[in-house]
Amino acid sequence: MKIQINGRWYKAREGEMVLDVLRREGIEVPALCAHEAVEPYGACRLCMVEITHEDWGGWKGNVTSCLYPVEDKLIVQTHTEDVIELRKMVLNLLLARCPNTPEIQKLAEEYGIDITDFVPREDADDCIMCGLCTRVCTQMGFNAISVAGRGYDREVATPLKEAPPDCVGCLACVNICPTNHIKYQDVGTTREIWGRQFELVKCKECGKALITREFADYLIKNRDIPADYFDVCDDCKRAGTAKNFKKLVHWEEKEEAEEEVSV
Amino acid sequence: MTKRFMVRPALCIGCRTCELACSLTHQEGKTPGRTRIYPLAVGKEKWVPVACLQCDDPACVKSCLVDALRMNEELGYIELLQERCIKCRACVAACPFGCSLIDEEQEIIVKCDLCEGNPACARFCPTKALEYK
Ligand code: SF4
Ligand code: SF4
Ligand code: SF4
Ligand code: FES
Repeated sequence: MKIQINGRWYKAREGEMVLDVLRREGIEVPALCAHEAVEPYGACRLCMVEITHEDWGGWKGNVTSCLYPVEDKLIVQTHTEDVIELRKMVLNLLLARCPNTPEIQKLAEEYGIDITDFVPREDADDCIMCGLCTRVCTQMGFNAISVAGRGYDREVATPLKEAPPDCVGCLACVNICPTNHIKYQDVGTTREIWGRQFELVKCKECGKALITREFADYLIKNRDIPADYFDVCDDCKRAGTAKNFKKLVHWEEKEEAEEEVSV
Repeated sequence: MTKRFMVRPALCIGCRTCELACSLTHQEGKTPGRTRIYPLAVGKEKWVPVACLQCDDPACVKSCLVDALRMNEELGYIELLQERCIKCRACVAACPFGCSLIDEEQEIIVKCDLCEGNPACARFCPTKALEYK
């Protein structure tokens, strides 16, 4: 199927969202709460676009592109005056929520907003409440964090604000957060996140660490991966692979091959 | 029939042309990417090129909890969907051959994609130690 974006036709696949096409084609639309690893959510409302269709008798509407499934001959406009106004409004509010967050400042600036018209939040942190962290944690099967509190005081938190028992320290939440709000620290082979400490698995041969013991144990137990796969790091496993192959190789092949060439 | 990636270590002369070809082919940002193939010395005048074996029962795919890795049936390789990857490193830790890699420079996880059907390493290998046919 094909959809039209800003006057040009693009291929689209059954079942995907308008935003998927925009991203694939490199058409710039801000979208802070959408990530391919999780289901769309429609929280930030920045990805708004205008849609219409030749069969709709002139009807047009603004929708969140991350939640709108493509259909054949859909006509999309990403930068109408209305859409830009909507995005400005959202950014104005976001800037009040997160006045000190570089990612938000930059995006707001792109839309011509230097300071918010609203009262900036006191003691503001960098969380924009996009829910990506909680969604990815759930998607991975851990469910360690969630949104707590109401209204103004809503925040991403661990149960009872204590060290989360279900967290494995995988850092999916850290890596997915669009504003780098979630902090962690690796000191030696100890990782600290959400107020909990984890030991990283140390390579038996060189000491390099990749993931936490808890994460490895989860994968061993639930994903049917042999436990010894995690004993050695990737570098040492490549070296081990080479050594194992060495025993299998018929090294004479070289001389034979050379002989063939010289004949 | 999909083609097969063949490695004949006996023919490898350790020239590392494959590494260079791989890096330059996988240019994610402005700088060359991390090579996905490693001709490793295993003795005097002996090298074994180590790269992803595109396993039938891949530990990397099993370890990825957000389905960012999957078998590309058409081209016969295990594909890493960059937009999905949340860089948890499970696959890096799980691959028994050490062939899921961290590209520190680009801050992404990478693995061999057989150049989506035309591997540069095999094309540039001067001795046919690597072939795709
Ligand atoms: S580090 Fe903990 S809270 Fe974050 S995604 Fe992983 S399990 Fe969830
Ligand atoms: S911590 Fe980051 S990922 Fe989580 S809701 Fe806040 S901004 Fe989004
Ligand atoms: S690092 Fe990326 S590809 Fe590897 S298991 Fe994690 S999410 Fe999947
Ligand atoms: S990306 Fe669509 S609403 Fe946030």
